[in-house]
Amino acid sequence: MLFNSLQYLVFLPTVFLLYWLVPHRLRVPLLLVASYTFYMTWRPIYGFLIFGLTLGNFLLVPLIAKTDVVKHKKLWLSLVVAVNLITLGIFKYAYFGMDCMKSGMNLFHVNWHEPHLHILLPLGISFFVFEFIHYAVEVYRGKPLVNKFMDFALFASFFPTQIAGPIKRYRDFIPQLDIPAKFKWEYVDQGMQLILMGLCKKVLLADNLTLVVQAGFAHPEKFSSIDMWLITYAFAFQIFFDFAGYTDIARGSALLFGYKVPINFNLPYLAANAAEFWNRWHISLSSWLRDYLFIPLGGSRCSVPKLYRNLFITMALGGLWHGAANHYLLWGVYQGLLLIAHREYVRIMQAVGLHSSLVKSKVYHWASVAVTFQFVCVGWVFFRAETDQSAWQILAKLAHAPLDLLHFSTAQLSVLQIRDPIIFPAIVLLIPGLMISQPVVNWLNNKKFYLNPPWPVQVAAMVAMLCVLTIFSPDTSPKFIYFQF
Amino acid sequence: MESMKGLVKTRFAAALLTFSLAAAFAGYFQLGALPAQSFPFLSWTGWTIQDFLKQPRPNVVFLGSSLMLVPLDGVDADYMNKRVDGSQHHHSVYFENQFDKQTGLSLRTFNFALPGEMPSDGYLIVKNLLTGEKKPDVIVYGVGPRDFLDNMLPSPSATDPYRFLSRFGDITPIAGRMMPDWNQRLDFELGKACYFYGKRADLSELGTRAASSTLDKLVPLPANTKTISFDDRRSLMPDFRPCQILAGQAWFRPSTAADRANFVDNLSEYKKRYAKMKWETYHSQLSFFADTLKEAKANGIKVVVVTMPITELNRSLLSETSWNAYKNGVLSVAKNSGATTLDFSDSKDFTQSDFGDTVHLHAGGGKRLFDMILAKLSKNQEVLSAFTGLNIAQRGRQL
Repeated sequence: MLFNSLQYLVFLPTVFLLYWLVPHRLRVPLLLVASYTFYMTWRPIYGFLIFGLTLGNFLLVPLIAKTDVVKHKKLWLSLVVAVNLITLGIFKYAYFGMDCMKSGMNLFHVNWHEPHLHILLPLGISFFVFEFIHYAVEVYRGKPLVNKFMDFALFASFFPTQIAGPIKRYRDFIPQLDIPAKFKWEYVDQGMQLILMGLCKKVLLADNLTLVVQAGFAHPEKFSSIDMWLITYAFAFQIFFDFAGYTDIARGSALLFGYKVPINFNLPYLAANAAEFWNRWHISLSSWLRDYLFIPLGGSRCSVPKLYRNLFITMALGGLWHGAANHYLLWGVYQGLLLIAHREYVRIMQAVGLHSSLVKSKVYHWASVAVTFQFVCVGWVFFRAETDQSAWQILAKLAHAPLDLLHFSTAQLSVLQIRDPIIFPAIVLLIPGLMISQPVVNWLNNKKFYLNPPWPVQVAAMVAMLCVLTIFSPDTSPKFIYFQF
Repeated sequence: MESMKGLVKTRFAAALLTFSLAAAFAGYFQLGALPAQSFPFLSWTGWTIQDFLKQPRPNVVFLGSSLMLVPLDGVDADYMNKRVDGSQHHHSVYFENQFDKQTGLSLRTFNFALPGEMPSDGYLIVKNLLTGEKKPDVIVYGVGPRDFLDNMLPSPSATDPYRFLSRFGDITPIAGRMMPDWNQRLDFELGKACYFYGKRADLSELGTRAASSTLDKLVPLPANTKTISFDDRRSLMPDFRPCQILAGQAWFRPSTAADRANFVDNLSEYKKRYAKMKWETYHSQLSFFADTLKEAKANGIKVVVVTMPITELNRSLLSETSWNAYKNGVLSVAKNSGATTLDFSDSKDFTQSDFGDTVHLHAGGGKRLFDMILAKLSKNQEVLSAFTGLNIAQRGRQL
């Protein structure tokens, strides 16, 4: 079931009404049934997968807690992590693994016909597997167990976050289930505002930008280098609004039941360096990678080469988490190299004594934001390109832009020659508009405008969002990008 | 009680109420509603409807899918010995001239056969467009098994013709049959309940037009450049308005037996279309077919049902159950409604050499078919007496 579907328009209010009508003791079972219904509308059989993993983790993780012998603890933890990762590997990486094997064998002139396994990637598997691993590691580190199976099952399957996160932490989520919350209209106001905002981001911005991005990345040869920069920026905003929109709807839906789930974005394109970008982008994933991959690898309390190795491995695997393809791996590698390069840059600037004075300068800050955005966008090319070869082809084109800018004329912009759909010429205005909107939103955040805006402003904003959503919602809206991960 | 107090204060409830009032107000004054024939883009259906509304009343209207459309246009291309733009050419010169030769009656025809047209679309054409001053005397309705058995049709409202034809009348009485899926039905009912949602096609089109004219001023087409061609746009965005067609894109070229295009094997497509007997599609489309004939009869339109010939190759994909259901269903509905039936479904008069692929007659085969139809209709008194607007002397000569 998609958040931007009519099914969800019926499903959510129904579950909402039932939830607040039934006594507190029935709420968790109700949400559990609702969550499995939500999941199984796609492919009922995969309901058994999530249930099986839930049961397996619920039964195995206490074995980690029960033993006092560190070696045994480690053994049980390894087993739990292995069970989760093998499941993820089979469903997500089997084809990729076979492709790699085939390519490797081809190098030795061995022609291997790989079997067709008929495996379909279960929705959300990357997210709930990470939640299970987080639970196991936390228990290993001495944190308490979840005693009620239903609570644990709901933690993994909670429908607002089931398909594409945010990746929850059980110690934040489970205690909320025990609170016999009373219904508050605040939940509706805040929840619906988030849902409407999320839908606007998805339907109005991300879906419209999709047209430009699809055309540009499928046929880069038809566009100039400057067009390709615009299209790359368009993708940067498409993926941001698509995923941030999803997260808003997820958080808003959870809030309707009185539950809080973590935020995932904090104006990522205002990051002044690569490290800050990862503190602002897909926060629940980057903090997971930090806590359960980077730190276990040794983190930053080690020698510089080891630190760089840890950063590199973490980001490369983070890239591969997004999808089983070389271009995702390349994207992760690129992010790892960016983080390393940033650390080196800071080290050099500190060594020459420039860093502290520069950091205080506003001009330097905004220049850093602009440069970081360009580097992030270059990374998005690896992410969005259909193959790694295509990514290199697009990057070569982007690299040509400085020369083309020397004799720039609007005639170079192919996007202006496509007048229908109007999103093509519109991106010339839309992209700068979206770029400017980021510091504006940041300024409003700093003024705490969103915390308590005037009542009429909130109502007017909601009416406007309802109007544009009903009028401009397309007959079919593409799936959320992160659903495929 | 506390909850009720909260409800009064809640911002979302206030927003919902304001939105509902705005929608009701806009609905009352029909703000932003465009005329039914104002389409954001034209598909084959859109071109056909626009032309139909411009033309004077036809005497004969052809209905059916591409099985009827392809031979009609192909025959005209051969007959006039010039290429015919299918999306713009909506009558049959050959039929008009031959009918005149054989009966002395000078007819106007209109070709409302559309690619992918289903009986549910045919019903909308008859119900919403072939009425009043536009009512023809005779409908020649060509049907084939796909029209009733198509596995690839999710629902009657999923066709391109439906998108255009549904603008010309109220669908409510047949909504259950047009939208058997609850999702589509809910979408339809939401559209009825909320003016903004129901008129979103019109309102978003108005928004697009306004945005487009603003963009033309703010970011005009650069000097010495031109907009990209339709074909280039299609190659860039194959999923954007896939049914859109421009004038000059669907040519039927004159051909002779010596230079006809090679036979195309499209069996794999039809294997999917006939994959299994979908009884719900069959019953639904047969009921629309029956309603079409009933509606025509009620309006005094004579209907001639032509069961179109298909190749033995294509026929062999259908199980006996499917074939019998199709044939018996069509013939029985036609008989019960008093339609004249010309049954070519099992005709041995056509061989594979008359076809361009496994179902579509090429111009040569089409000419043979229309000659047979003309021969039968020119002697059919029920049909001839249906022509009310023609020259009385001419009619008298025949009757």
